Amino acid sequence: MNPHLSGDEISKYLMGDASPREAEHLRDCAVCSVEVARLESSFAQFRGSVRRWSDQEEQISRVREVANMNYETHLERLLIPASVDLPWYKGIVISVKELIHPPKLPPLEVTSKPVKLASLKGLYGGHETTAGLGSVIAHVGVVALLLFAGTLKPVQRAMKEFVPLIAPDLRPLQPKPKPEQSKGGGGSPQKTAVTKGELPKIAPKSFVPPIRPQDDPKLAVNPTIVAPDMPNINSPNFGNPLAGLGVPSAGNGIGTGIGSGKGPGVGPGSGGGIGGGVYKIGGGVSAPVPVYRPEPEYSEEARKAKWQGSVLLAIVVDENGLPQDVRVIRSVGLGLDQKAIEAVQKWRFKPGQKDGKPVPVSANIEVNFRLL
Amino acid sequence: MPKLAPVVEAPSAGGLNDFESLVQQHRPRIFRFLIASLRDREAAENLTQDCFVRAFRARDQFRGGSTLGTWLMHIAANLVRDHEANSRLKFWRRKLQADVDPNDLSDWIPDQQKSPEALALAKEQVDAIWRAAANLSERQRTVFLLRFVEDMDLLEIAEVTGMKEGTVKTHLFRAVQSVRLGLEQRK
Repeated sequence: MNPHLSGDEISKYLMGDASPREAEHLRDCAVCSVEVARLESSFAQFRGSVRRWSDQEEQISRVREVANMNYETHLERLLIPASVDLPWYKGIVISVKELIHPPKLPPLEVTSKPVKLASLKGLYGGHETTAGLGSVIAHVGVVALLLFAGTLKPVQRAMKEFVPLIAPDLRPLQPKPKPEQSKGGGGSPQKTAVTKGELPKIAPKSFVPPIRPQDDPKLAVNPTIVAPDMPNINSPNFGNPLAGLGVPSAGNGIGTGIGSGKGPGVGPGSGGGIGGGVYKIGGGVSAPVPVYRPEPEYSEEARKAKWQGSVLLAIVVDENGLPQDVRVIRSVGLGLDQKAIEAVQKWRFKPGQKDGKPVPVSANIEVNFRLL
Repeated sequence: MPKLAPVVEAPSAGGLNDFESLVQQHRPRIFRFLIASLRDREAAENLTQDCFVRAFRARDQFRGGSTLGTWLMHIAANLVRDHEANSRLKFWRRKLQADVDPNDLSDWIPDQQKSPEALALAKEQVDAIWRAAANLSERQRTVFLLRFVEDMDLLEIAEVTGMKEGTVKTHLFRAVQSVRLGLEQRK
């Protein structure tokens, strides 16, 4: 006897696609025929259910249909009426034709007639005047009552307690722009530090350094420095009035000022003014604008560690727009600080300006390191 | 039907002359197939109407190569396919259809004089088949319903669906396998 039918073969038999061998086997084999009979009965149940269900549903829909329409118009309802079933181009042609030659409509036949309604007269039973007057009096009374209420003291007081909200004037509270804090510095390059002496004349621009004036100049120019008003002393030579005594010197700085700094000011800073440091943004000093800023590279360690963060750098942008004196204020680590400094040193700026002239300005720069 | 006389008497293929009786004769079958495919009475009603309208419009194209019932069923199968394609775009609608409670169907098991156990078993089985059929693809379901509800043989199904016999076999085989799987899991 043949082996039992596989599941696939049973499915094939159910499909009606069984080979003669399989059919023969089913006739002989009790096990397989039971299995197939079980499945067939399930499918038969299913068939019966679907048929009964659809018959029922059809009855419902048929009942509704019959209720809705005359039986004879069955096919008519199925078809779209010819008047509607026009192709679109014909519709356009007809519309245009009707626009040019409006079809003459049959004269309008008015089938309805005006109906005379019962007059409104007499609805008030002859009290029209009274009613009108009453209405006027009632309205006048209400208005007068409102006006009278407005004159009462308690009402006025209550109205006064009503405080309208007005946007407060915050101008005095707004932060004042910082007074100009230009730090100065300067000095002619000399070995010794600045000594005590009289400050040169203060001017907006320094042409001649206070020390080592040219002998026998063709056009004598008084030495000047760029500095705010400050206490001065009488002294035979120029110097810093706050410095100690010594060999006359304008300091070991660079420029035309006095002191150890750089530029035409007084003190250890750079630029004009007195004291240390450079100009700061604000108070007439515009911020430097970066014009060329190459992206920082990622350090290998940080890339491996998937390290992210931002480095805060303090720089001084000099008059030429070059970053100087780059320092780290907030560090991230893993070599990113170094990379940030390297990148920022390549940056170029439009220098900050004071009174239309480029000046060295200190600025903070945040360099972001983000891994995608 | 005095109004429809010209239409009815129009010269055309065989059984199409009396359209009214044609509708009467084939409507239940078409409707059954459509409602079993779509599980939505409204849609089945509409598509049944559409089916006869199409048949009426295309009555000249009917050459009598197949029986009238097969031809109408072919139209219906096409309509089901179009409908599925349309409702695929409206996925919410599809979801709504999938939500039809298959328990509705097991209430319609014929021969209610069965013992309660047998009835419960039959309900289970019908339920399982109905659920499994719901998860079939549109083609598989069409083929499955044509075979097991309409009792068509493979050649007829091929004619109705416009597929080759081999294709029909493949779809039907997969459908039967899924349904059997559904029945097994139910046990």
